[in-house]
Amino acid sequence: MAPYRTQVRIIADVLSTARDMNVEGTGVGVTALLRRGNLSYTRMSKLLSELVGSGLLVELTGEKISKYMISEKGVQFLAAYHSFEDFAQSFGLRL
Amino acid sequence: MSSAPDMALIESMLQFIGVFVSFSVAYVALKGVKHTESMSLMRLGLAFAFLGFGFFVESLVGLGQLVPRLSITATDVVVGGLLLETTGYFFLAFSHAVDVVLSKRMGAALLILPVISISGPDLANILSILSFYFVMYGVVETFYSYTRTRKPDTLFIAMGLALLGVGTFFQWLSLVYQYVVVLSLLQIILQVMGLTILFTPVLRFAVGGVKVDGPI
Repeated sequence: MAPYRTQVRIIADVLSTARDMNVEGTGVGVTALLRRGNLSYTRMSKLLSELVGSGLLVELTGEKISKYMISEKGVQFLAAYHSFEDFAQSFGLRL
Repeated sequence: MSSAPDMALIESMLQFIGVFVSFSVAYVALKGVKHTESMSLMRLGLAFAFLGFGFFVESLVGLGQLVPRLSITATDVVVGGLLLETTGYFFLAFSHAVDVVLSKRMGAALLILPVISISGPDLANILSILSFYFVMYGVVETFYSYTRTRKPDTLFIAMGLALLGVGTFFQWLSLVYQYVVVLSLLQIILQVMGLTILFTPVLRFAVGGVKVDGPI
């Protein structure tokens, strides 16, 4: 059984995917984010809008599809998330 | 041979180290809540905030002995401090219990029961036994977490919590055998040693210099 993921954990997973899979610098498509994020299309679409709105992701609008890239604020958020995750894990807890 | 006021001063100073460390851990945990909205960090922050207040209240006993004009009733202060400490240890144990439930695994220490009999209906006695139980539950769960993650920090923290637990045991002994003054000092030394170990993640956090604009 998959472990329970909090909303913040899901956000961190999506941002990590957007960072790690953006090898060519042209952004990451929704399909790749869905595959790694393990979310339904509806939920992912809503989450992506929220992340773009809060400035954690940048939307690169193409002719047919949109691609997403992690922003500087998103990189900062991920770094902070991992620090707090590390802190919680030191006490034997999950974030 | 140390006089009673000297001993009280040492105890108060050691208690203040406990206050500083507890509030530092609480500060980082609650800062984490602001940025990540994590309930685990919220419980951890609450646990250490209560511990910090508990140590502060207990340090007043020593100050009361140093300044005779401060008419502090030692028994009430000790019980008040212990109540805050026990609440702190409860939140620590509760954090692990919730984690056990959320990850749908068998709790490593759910069957551990208090093995020490309570000598008399003394409230302070009961509180220190409960503290011992809660903190030992935290120790076992943290050790269990280490076996899963193999993170050296987690093992280190488990050792710190274990020292805190042994300190709580000495606290219980010092309440039962009140005439053995050294028990109380041993208790505080062990607790401060344990808390100093718990300070390590805070130090690493401060050195890492986490920068975030605000909550998401």
